Amino acid sequence: MNRFQFRTEMIRSELEDIVGQHFVSVDESDKLVYSTDWSWMPQMWLDRGQPLPTPDYIVHPESAEQIAEIMDIANKYRIPVVPWGGGSGTQGGALPLFGGILVDTKRMDKIIEIDEVSLKVTAQAGINGEQLEWALHEKGLMLPHYAAASRCATLGGYLAPRGTGTISTKYGKAEDMVLNMQVVLPTGEIIRTAPVPQHAAGPDWPRLFLGAEGTFGIITEATMQLDYLPEARLLRAVLFDDLSKALEAGRRIMTRRLHPFVIRLYDPESTRSQVKKVLGLDYEGAYMVMGFDGDPDIAALEEQKALAICTELGGQDVGREPGETWWEHRYDFYYPPLSLHLPWMYGTTETVTTYDKIEPLYWAVKRAVEEGFPQWNIRFIAHFSHWFHWGVMCYSRFIIEEPPADAQEALQLHNRVWQAAMQAVIDNGGMINEHHGIGVKLGRYMRQQYGDAWPFMLRLKKMIDPNGIMNPGKVGFGF
Amino acid sequence: MSLDNAVLTTDNCRYCLMCRHVCPVGHVTRLETLTPHGWGLLISSVQRGLATWTDSAVDKLYSCADCGTCQSHCVTDQPLPAAIAEARADVAAAGLAPAHVVALNQTIERWGNPYREQEPEAVSGTGDVALFVGDEALYLWPDGLQAALSLLRAAGIDPVLIGAGRNSGYIPSSLGFPETARRLAAANLADLQASQATMLLTLNPGDAYVFGTLYSERLGIDFPANVELKEVTALLAERLAAGDLKLRRGAGGPPYAYIDPAHTSRMAGRDAAPRQLLAAVMPAPGRELFWRRERTHPAGSTSLRFANPMIAEHLTYARLGDARAAGAQVLICEDAGTLNVLASLAPRFGLTIQGLYELLAEQLEGTQGN
Repeated sequence: MNRFQFRTEMIRSELEDIVGQHFVSVDESDKLVYSTDWSWMPQMWLDRGQPLPTPDYIVHPESAEQIAEIMDIANKYRIPVVPWGGGSGTQGGALPLFGGILVDTKRMDKIIEIDEVSLKVTAQAGINGEQLEWALHEKGLMLPHYAAASRCATLGGYLAPRGTGTISTKYGKAEDMVLNMQVVLPTGEIIRTAPVPQHAAGPDWPRLFLGAEGTFGIITEATMQLDYLPEARLLRAVLFDDLSKALEAGRRIMTRRLHPFVIRLYDPESTRSQVKKVLGLDYEGAYMVMGFDGDPDIAALEEQKALAICTELGGQDVGREPGETWWEHRYDFYYPPLSLHLPWMYGTTETVTTYDKIEPLYWAVKRAVEEGFPQWNIRFIAHFSHWFHWGVMCYSRFIIEEPPADAQEALQLHNRVWQAAMQAVIDNGGMINEHHGIGVKLGRYMRQQYGDAWPFMLRLKKMIDPNGIMNPGKVGFGF
Repeated sequence: MSLDNAVLTTDNCRYCLMCRHVCPVGHVTRLETLTPHGWGLLISSVQRGLATWTDSAVDKLYSCADCGTCQSHCVTDQPLPAAIAEARADVAAAGLAPAHVVALNQTIERWGNPYREQEPEAVSGTGDVALFVGDEALYLWPDGLQAALSLLRAAGIDPVLIGAGRNSGYIPSSLGFPETARRLAAANLADLQASQATMLLTLNPGDAYVFGTLYSERLGIDFPANVELKEVTALLAERLAAGDLKLRRGAGGPPYAYIDPAHTSRMAGRDAAPRQLLAAVMPAPGRELFWRRERTHPAGSTSLRFANPMIAEHLTYARLGDARAAGAQVLICEDAGTLNVLASLAPRFGLTIQGLYELLAEQLEGTQGN
């Protein structure tokens, strides 16, 4: 036995002392499966027969207390801790790039309380999103974070990257639904945030853990605001021949304080390709789905007002069926082979900005991608799906159907396309991401995104995680 | 399923997480590796030279319950369970299958079932309607079989019994022994032909799935086109609705729940008939389990009870826990395999297990019921 083996076994034994032998794995097949999440880079690497960095230990704790003890071990041996929920991140936020202890939170999946008076649920962070939703439905309630990844993501995974769901336009992002959280800090303390988020008792520090993607600690429990399942959901589609007018229609609907639960606006290329392929709807132009829910009378009235705005701007009402079709099949886009799939190269360069900048930004990113890589027959598609009072998110994607066969060459090309897209985003006043998070993929843009504020964030990281054990290489915090 | 199709399926499933929420094994183990995505990635990685079939990897391959819940929730209908069975067949052909699984297959090859060292029974005669008995109903829950026959006779049907004491072929197919499965399928279909029946009844959705789907999709054997395939519960519900079966309502009793049998998710809409039958005889509506109808989880009675008994037992515990959480004191099912595994552990949960067919037979008009 050499020193390395001795250390490896010591750490393993100490982890087993905490969670039990059955809940620590060093098995190669487990390591393989935990080496990739839902992001393109690791999947491509494996697809081309190339192994990936793996965790040294996969640990399945059942409590915050056990995670706190795991933090102690990681600090003692100065090894990484990588939180893992459903593994559904698209930015590489859960990749164990530097080995260490991968903490799978899925054993922490209990619903602690459903409060039908204040409409809130308290649950452990490892609970599956859809299973939580089903449990709430039994009581006529919903957690209105309807993310495409709900079927695989965990509650903690909703919050860590500041996720957004398909009905966010009315109900907000996942972060807007959090009332309070329990977090295990990298230094091993278990803390709980204030019972409610809206107050004036000092700065809003709990939000530090939202979007930190596990670099500031592990969210182990959350209390989330709920809603009643709506009495009515009215869906409708409108077709615009001009994307600009469609964006203006969305802006007017939002700034006039109508409350659609969804506005899904596909650009003409996405309408021609994705909408036709997945939904079977054959349209030219920009296909927009609008939805209003809740009290049937109020929903109908709001829908009528929104439709009038669309019609005034040249939108053609194509009726309920194309809207309802989208709602029924809204997640079909993510099932293979309908989804983007290997050996293609693809990336979701989604962004958010204010209404005054959104259209120039869209065209700038589209030009940067399409004109920067014509030799690869690159395609650019986009839709606008999360609308705020002040602006909208643009969910743009690039696709190359015949990328380089060599994994390293493919990765280099991938990074160059991302660079072109992100530079266009930053130059045009956009954020480098709206809801998938930063992960490992976008970390290199954080300094540029935040400018003078970035050193402040680095100091925060150093203070919260002095040994740099938490999820190294993510959110731009280095290794 | 051909090897090419199996590769296509595992390549589709290896990075897809969209059925994670319904996988029973993933739910009870909470292990990423033991989910449809994990199995898909493991198989595709072996094909790419990134992994090998070590004992541990083979153990994981044999941890899928083959319940079909993933496929039935897949928008693009990826036949992952069949692809896993195909990968198991490759592993078995290479001599790498677990020893207990190999031994089990030898038992099935010899006796036609894994439960008793006894030859299958001959076809009981000829007639328009045949009932596939199989091995579980005969050996694991014989009272249910007798009760089902009473109900059918009360409804004017006296079926020819076929395949009594013989596995449908599901177990060897699932565990990677398609040739054994083909021999059983051929014998069962020969029984069916000998019976001259034009309708084949099954006692549970699992057998209906095997005859209606598995034979053709996994084994390349067609079910005869001139034979109608139907579950006993569906037939009884039809006869009840038509007034051809008379059941009386029972007296009050403790809260109960119906537990959907394994493979329910593979048979769309089959969950209605048992509930209709129960509604006719029970004085009050039953509780509903969380894992019910199209999202039901098996109770540990699929091929998993042989491949990985420990995980299968976890599934049994989970279903009993589900029933207790729903407030049920009595758990009702018609599937012999499900009843068998539940009964062994139910007392620990303070639950009573009740066969659906027996319950209904007690309420036949003209019999002494409670």
